[in-house]
Amino acid sequence: MVNLTIDDKQVTVPKDATIYDAAKAAGIRIPILCHDKKLHPFGGCRMCLVEVEQMKGRQIPACTTPVTEGMIVRTSTPDIIQARKMVLELLLLKHPIDCPVCDAAGDCDLQNLTYEYKVNANRFTDEKFQHKIDYENPLIERDMNRCIHCGKCARICDEIVSYGAYSFLNRGLEAKIGTEFDGPLNCEFCGSCVSVCPVGALLSRPFKFKARWWALSKTKTVCSYCGTGCQLTLGIKDGKVLTTIYDENQGFHNGQLCTRGRWGYQFVNSDKRLTTPLIRKNGKLVQASWEEALSAVKERLFSAKTAGGESAACLVTPRLTNEELFVLKKLFNVALGSQNIDHSAGYAHNALSAGALESLGYAASPSTIADIQKTNLLLVVKSDAYETHPVLGFEINLGVKRKGVDLRVVSDKRGKLSRLPDATTYVHKPGSEVLLFNAMARVIIGENLVDAGASSISGLAELKNSLQGYAPEKVAEACGMSADEIIVLARDYAKAEKALIMLPLGLGYPGHGKDLAQALINLALLTGKIGKEGCGVLIMGEKNNSQGAVDMGVYPAKGGKDAVAILDGCAAGTVKTLYVVGENPVVSYPNRKAVEAALDKVEFLIVQDLFLTETAEKAHVVLPACSFAEKDGTFTSVGKVIQRVNRAIAPVGLSRSDFEILNALYAACANTQPYADVAAVFAEISENVPAYKGISYAGLGENGVIWPAGGTPRFVPAEGGAVQGESGKYALLTGSALNHCGTLSRFGEGPMYVCPAGYAELSYTDASALKVKNDDLLTLKSASGEVRLKAKVSARMPQGVIFAPYHFGEESVNTLTTGAPVTWVNVSK
Amino acid sequence: MIMPLLQGLKITFSHMFKKTITLQYPHERPNIPPGFRGLHALNVSHDKAKCVACYLCPTVCPAKCITVEAGEDANHDKYAAKYEIDMLRCIFCGYCVEACPVDAIRMTDTFELANMKRADFVFTKETLLEKK
Repeated sequence: MVNLTIDDKQVTVPKDATIYDAAKAAGIRIPILCHDKKLHPFGGCRMCLVEVEQMKGRQIPACTTPVTEGMIVRTSTPDIIQARKMVLELLLLKHPIDCPVCDAAGDCDLQNLTYEYKVNANRFTDEKFQHKIDYENPLIERDMNRCIHCGKCARICDEIVSYGAYSFLNRGLEAKIGTEFDGPLNCEFCGSCVSVCPVGALLSRPFKFKARWWALSKTKTVCSYCGTGCQLTLGIKDGKVLTTIYDENQGFHNGQLCTRGRWGYQFVNSDKRLTTPLIRKNGKLVQASWEEALSAVKERLFSAKTAGGESAACLVTPRLTNEELFVLKKLFNVALGSQNIDHSAGYAHNALSAGALESLGYAASPSTIADIQKTNLLLVVKSDAYETHPVLGFEINLGVKRKGVDLRVVSDKRGKLSRLPDATTYVHKPGSEVLLFNAMARVIIGENLVDAGASSISGLAELKNSLQGYAPEKVAEACGMSADEIIVLARDYAKAEKALIMLPLGLGYPGHGKDLAQALINLALLTGKIGKEGCGVLIMGEKNNSQGAVDMGVYPAKGGKDAVAILDGCAAGTVKTLYVVGENPVVSYPNRKAVEAALDKVEFLIVQDLFLTETAEKAHVVLPACSFAEKDGTFTSVGKVIQRVNRAIAPVGLSRSDFEILNALYAACANTQPYADVAAVFAEISENVPAYKGISYAGLGENGVIWPAGGTPRFVPAEGGAVQGESGKYALLTGSALNHCGTLSRFGEGPMYVCPAGYAELSYTDASALKVKNDDLLTLKSASGEVRLKAKVSARMPQGVIFAPYHFGEESVNTLTTGAPVTWVNVSK
Repeated sequence: MIMPLLQGLKITFSHMFKKTITLQYPHERPNIPPGFRGLHALNVSHDKAKCVACYLCPTVCPAKCITVEAGEDANHDKYAAKYEIDMLRCIFCGYCVEACPVDAIRMTDTFELANMKRADFVFTKETLLEKK
């Protein structure tokens, strides 16, 4: 620790602090324009000039000068104020004074400082910049005439996003922030640059001219897309969510958001939202009143209850809050007596609800998000971890670039993570993950790298036996990797002091189930990497409340039907009433034809959703539900963090929150009093769910609570076979596109501007063999169906492998798939 | 007793020979002094309203009677797609004029604002523009 004096105040700070940090710790504000707490010090704007007595009164930048013992700093002498005024005058020399039409006004650092330092005249005159303004980009408007050259956009894009879309072009007076060859912006569109821009040079185009900064009311809540659990501030005016607001002090991610979190909010106030209940009359869905719709649903549920409950089933989305899921489960289990309730097609939660539960004794990841930057070696299963959870991808970027984390990506294709400095990507044959990780375990045992603690964990002998057949030499061929690579990876993993494994889950990844999770947990257990800081396995649930849905036990137990069995039951006629809450199985579950046939067959289909989805179109009753912005509750995200969701706006139209609907149905079916409010349900959850014991709704605070995990781990052998290729066919891999999450993001304008439709990504070699170029239509044909998708030729795909995102309703890839990790397809032009 | 009465009558009679203050409105029209704050008008320049929809007038308005909605024109410039003043709420304080950074709004000498329907008191952009 270092002691210094700032403006006569004694401060003690760590020795790596700068004068700016020290002043901040002492509660002294030093003005900044180019500094950002998330980025490396830059020292470009000269606003933070201070005087240090030991430096003979010279003015030095506070943001780049490290503190030294006994330093005496003055932050606001008349000389400094004069210097700062001059900096502002020089900036205003080129900066257009178009505050009335600039959306940044009110949130503009330059405007605020100009006001604070009373710079109301300029001693100098000069011409303004005449740069061309980029109005073409649908998300980010770039007006470089307003730019003050702080370089924050270029730095955040490089340091945190690791994309590098911007850079300074030219020198001296002609310097400006530009893109590759000064062309159009073509990046990931995460909008980080817009969030840090201190002026209005980079603006959100969807929000352009919609409202002034000071007219927005702000509500902090949690993003409703992926499972990362990023905190979000919504900007609201006149009961509408108009934008997301950057708050650098929010959450583990310091306000950093991905492309969907930042631009995908429009679904909340979309014109396509359902505003009234719909009932099918004469084959057509017509508007109805809530009384009519609810009485139809109740009548149906009562008759299912009298019949024993087995004829009713429920498919629910893990986007609901914990409280809603809890009430829904009670509605089915207690009120109706049915165990038929499941989510995420069954397989997308298997890694947690079966894999982790069996191997660790609790159905969650043993690690937290904070472990990513604390580890030494990061083993990421599938480069898609970046696409499924982009903000965790930023954490990986930071770990690799700032903390020197050794990144190993084990994937069936390369990806953005592969391009990080010193990252090693092991591209294996599709579907051979379990084989590969078992082989690694075998190497660890064979080379005696097993941790001493592992012998006390039960099941070690069986594991050793089960791994007999997985010698690296034997499986190398099936994995498409060399035996040496597997051995080296296993050794490095075992020898790393701290190592963390990341496993993304999702409807697009049928292979990421129980066996894969268990193979990975076995690796971690063998090497003693569970239960320590910076170690373990991070199992990343796909949706905002995937972890919560597992915590609430929203999967079949006691002989109940799982998602596949429920749909089979619909087709066979044993399930007569199907209640679909928020799920869109027609697009997101494998085998579209079979799902559609099952939904057409079921006697009574109730769909509760925000939109008239492909599934809702088949319903007998459609109940309009509310989005996350319209409700209170809690989400549990990756790493077991329970966070509060706060209501920002009133329900759109006549829609009601899932909680309100389910609470009413539960009270009616169970013949009891409804719950008073969400907090009452949370209180019951903390009594009934052991992991949530002692946690109160009010006690969650702003940053949430990580529920403590504890259980007895054991080795459970994971079975993995080689995926047999079919000659002349391509391996089709489904997954998540960066701009989308599930089927919800299709209703947000932002994601649809960038990625409006499905595509088939293939390698250059395959493209030239098939004689296709980008955007040519490809016909993909599997045993179960055929779709036509636009080709996207990319360098990241291995030969013979095709990737297609699963989010889109038209030409949906689930027409081709049947739930196998790899689908073999014929491809023609 | 009589003296105060006479003094009062003296004042009364003296006024009979002074210039009258009252106006025979509406037959006689008042002379409106400069700086009078009457009905608003949107200033026009180059055949376009000068207003750039900066929202400063609705922000400063103490009666919350101004509604502005910004739009983007063909040149990507900001303009007021909607500009409404609810005259039933307006207190004619003139803050909107003071706040305007582009001299887009002024207050005219129109003070006769009576009308038959409540809806007619909401002055739209078109009606505010007409008086040049």
